[in-house]
Amino acid sequence: MLEKVRDLAKRWLEDKEVDVIFGLKEQDGYIAPYLFTDASELGNLTISTQCRLCYTCRPSKENILSLMQRKEPNTKIGVVARGCDERALIELAKRGQIDLGKVKIMGVACTQDEAKGCKCERAYPNNLVLGERVKGVSEDENVDALLNKSLPERLTFWRHELSKCIKCYGCRNVCPMCFCKDCKMEQEIYARTGWLPPEIPMFLFIRFYHVSERCIGCGECEKACPVDIPLLTIFKLLRRDVKDLFDYEAGLDAGQESPLLTTLDEAPMKEEVTSGV
Amino acid sequence: MEYKNVLTTCPYCGAGCNFYLQVLDGELVGILPCKSHPVSQGKLCIKGWNAGEFVTSDERLTKPLIRRNGSFTEASWQEVLDTIAKKVKEYKESYGPDSISVLSSAKCTNEENYLMMKFARAVLGTNNVDHCARLCHASTVVGLVQSFGSGAMTNSIRELEDAGCILVIGSNTAEQHPLIARYILRAKEKGAKLIVVDPRAITLTQFADHYLRLRPGTDVAVFNGLMNVILGEGLEDKEFINERTEGFEELKETVKRYTPERVEEITGISKDKLIAAARAYAKAERASIIYSMGITQHTTGVDNVSSSANLAMLTGNVGKTSTGINPLRGQNNVQGACDMGALPNVYSGYQNVIDEKAREKFGNAWKVKLPEKPGLTVVEMMNEAARGNIKAMYIMGENPMISDPDISHVKEGLKNLEFLVVQDIFLTETAQLADVVLPAASYAEKEGTFTSTERLVQMVRKAIEPPGESRSDWQIICDLAKVIGSKEFEYKSPAEIMDEIASLTPSYGGISYDRLRKGGLAWPCLSKEHPGTPYLYKEKFTRANDRGKLFGIEFKEPAELPDDEYPFILSTGRIIFHFHTGTMTRKTGLLNREVATGYVEISPKDAERLALANREFVSVQTRRGQIEIKALITERVSEGVIFIPFHFAECAANVLTNPALDPVAKIPEYKVCAAKIEKIKEIPR
Amino acid sequence: MVEFEPRIVGFCCNWCSYVGADLAGVSRIQYPPNLRIIRVMCSGRVEPEFVAKALSSGADGVLVLGCHIGDCHYMYGNHRTAKRMAILKRILGYLGVDPSRIRLEWVSASEGPRFAEVVTEFIKEMKNLGPNPLKEVKAC
Repeated sequence: MLEKVRDLAKRWLEDKEVDVIFGLKEQDGYIAPYLFTDASELGNLTISTQCRLCYTCRPSKENILSLMQRKEPNTKIGVVARGCDERALIELAKRGQIDLGKVKIMGVACTQDEAKGCKCERAYPNNLVLGERVKGVSEDENVDALLNKSLPERLTFWRHELSKCIKCYGCRNVCPMCFCKDCKMEQEIYARTGWLPPEIPMFLFIRFYHVSERCIGCGECEKACPVDIPLLTIFKLLRRDVKDLFDYEAGLDAGQESPLLTTLDEAPMKEEVTSGV
Repeated sequence: MEYKNVLTTCPYCGAGCNFYLQVLDGELVGILPCKSHPVSQGKLCIKGWNAGEFVTSDERLTKPLIRRNGSFTEASWQEVLDTIAKKVKEYKESYGPDSISVLSSAKCTNEENYLMMKFARAVLGTNNVDHCARLCHASTVVGLVQSFGSGAMTNSIRELEDAGCILVIGSNTAEQHPLIARYILRAKEKGAKLIVVDPRAITLTQFADHYLRLRPGTDVAVFNGLMNVILGEGLEDKEFINERTEGFEELKETVKRYTPERVEEITGISKDKLIAAARAYAKAERASIIYSMGITQHTTGVDNVSSSANLAMLTGNVGKTSTGINPLRGQNNVQGACDMGALPNVYSGYQNVIDEKAREKFGNAWKVKLPEKPGLTVVEMMNEAARGNIKAMYIMGENPMISDPDISHVKEGLKNLEFLVVQDIFLTETAQLADVVLPAASYAEKEGTFTSTERLVQMVRKAIEPPGESRSDWQIICDLAKVIGSKEFEYKSPAEIMDEIASLTPSYGGISYDRLRKGGLAWPCLSKEHPGTPYLYKEKFTRANDRGKLFGIEFKEPAELPDDEYPFILSTGRIIFHFHTGTMTRKTGLLNREVATGYVEISPKDAERLALANREFVSVQTRRGQIEIKALITERVSEGVIFIPFHFAECAANVLTNPALDPVAKIPEYKVCAAKIEKIKEIPR
Repeated sequence: MVEFEPRIVGFCCNWCSYVGADLAGVSRIQYPPNLRIIRVMCSGRVEPEFVAKALSSGADGVLVLGCHIGDCHYMYGNHRTAKRMAILKRILGYLGVDPSRIRLEWVSASEGPRFAEVVTEFIKEMKNLGPNPLKEVKAC
């Protein structure tokens, strides 16, 4: 599979279908995103679930692709994208962060093992070019465990988990959907600053709500948490709720607007909204 | 357009996390975690995530500066180097080489520390070279050398996850070394017992199975009390004591007198809690001790450290995985700076200056006759500068104006110098007093290695070019040496420097850049094939007769206790959001938003008695000085104790601290001194 | 034993529900005093963080009252509120806070008695539910 990816990338560069390739580079055993500008460098191109591509750069708070496109608006970028990468790109394009017209996606599917490793529900991109669609993971034991708890049990559980938080902002920093210039998590009036643990549940609640309908299910937040707070559990449940309430899934269609930004006429909600919710 | 990610090591604490610096067209745009790194595993703390912002700050020094007529003017590199060379020659001839002293940097790479100590010894001709380890882990170096034979963390960080019991004393791990606290929490999830011993209710106490809240400065009594219970209940490891240690009788005699009742009197810990904690530690199959500044920064620092070694050896918890004594070193490269010999009494690898063979070896390698007398330590240097015996100082990457105890005395000392050269990345409070300022490159702009607290030597890779005319510290030192006339500083790259280090330092013998590029190596790494050593003392200790020494240590009170005039115990320390003297963190937006300025933690009962409101400005005074600072009322500190983080120059805690030193290690007593608090009428600007 | 009196925070929109509250007052309609009203220009101004912060700071229940769908002074503000509150309730449910501590109701400017009715019923419900468990989380 890796050879096919490299060959295709080489062909795209040589046929001038794209000007540069944005993918993962492997060097001395370390894997990180890289911009391949020449076909000779493609020997180091790799595919791995260890690292995604589209991260937000801080302190500018812009996505890396967005920064690249601002520098060179006419360069066509070929992106070796997995399912989660593609969904991130689509959601970013929806919000005007990147210009999808200048991006050519080389969709690569993940294997069943890789899907299991990330607990991924949809382990393939829509623009699938290489690889087979696999079923993905629909059962998640953390989710089931949470749903089986009663309300007081859930509160005790989360109180324990959230008290471990060391305010690294890692979950926010790795999330491709978190690019607000005035992040509410940093502001004193929403969540008290300068003390550990941060205000429970406000600090992480802000992200739970804000990312709820944008979450692409990549799981990076949970992977970036130093104290292993099971963040993906709540985001997975919220993805199900958003699908249930608005029949909407993030990252699938660049033309479909987020339900929280639209009126009830444009994107109706499942329950009756006459009085009392 | 060029975009790449450069893997490098974090410049903040000693955990040694790695992350990628995102570089777009030669500009640093962001930081990405590295999931394959053994310690950080794709996670970082808030400082690590923001370690790129200060690098691109507008306040970076970009040109060399010389003080003329009282203010700084820009100068060329040639001019400043010539000025320094001239002064060096002058002082060496008129007053002797010992009138000059050098402060090396625990923030700079191993190569730079090696070159700095080589410069001081081979070019200047003095052993007066020291660095900030004197202020933090000097007790560790002395204490563990006398107990085990070498003074470093005995096990590795990841092993903590599998310990059955972890005793954390004097370490606010969740705030100081967040990624190490991760492993403690993981151990807890796996069923380990956590014992926390700290006068403040730090973040870890909410996860502790046993929390022993002691009076500051009474750690020896706690250790002796724990050992008393262990011996009393027969929980000691008799086999280990017989085969691997000596001095047990002395220890037994001393410890007999520290009954739980007596320990309760001295420390304030209830005897039931002490007994329960002792049982938990001794009964665990693998128990680990973690400690940090809380026990080292005392006039009894060495005693505290040796006591912890006593406890570990008594229960056979050394020399196997997930056990041991784990001092958590604060700076990214303080372990490396010590290993490289930037200390007044040893060369690299802790080879002693007074040892003739070592002196000959280094003298031959450097082609020069080396000075015999051990040099001065940091606080002593300041004292001698105030007295006029030290005429000139060369400070690299240190900020004694905020980090040393009794700042007014430090200021006196520095101002009294005839010539001060400061090499740094920002115009720090110390640099503002200098005669010559040399602009240096930060960690992102040079190549080198850092050694983390678990003895892991890791690569630091260059990601961007240094701003303006600033240059890497190793290049500056080499150029300075060449201008003064030395021929021994011709290095084409840091890799060559590391090769020289490896040839002279047995524990770094097998370390070279082509091995390091693939991953870190834990010393001792004796040869090119040696894989590195995750944990020490598997078969024998490194003392003369291969045995660890048990000491009978008596409890001594701290140097300055509270009295009627100064009724509070003042303790100082760190918080997670800022780092040390704040040179880097206070130029970072998010960290300043979290904590903008300093505060003094005071307990609710004391606040009520003094009629203080939360966030009210108060005056805190000690016999050294006074500061005006915001009060924060919290139950974290117990009655009679107050705590001030030392990161904030405008309300510097070290104006107040006591420069009383541990007699052997010469480390100041930052953790205990006597203070008083008064309300003030006017709020300062 | 002091009986538990819940503390309720109510976000009322300027054009409909706040006027409705005013009308209840002018008409001398009695309802329990546990409600603290915060006037906003539109129920769409209510960020879910406000509601969560109210609960985190110790409120036992939060009411969000807006105009009826189709009557919003700003056309679609209350549409957004409806969607947000739905997601907010789900999140609170997952965190272990009873979602019925939040209620979204549409109360128009002329519905003085209805305002009093909604508030009274809500306070009764909160009394039954008991104090907000988040109150035990200690602050600095």
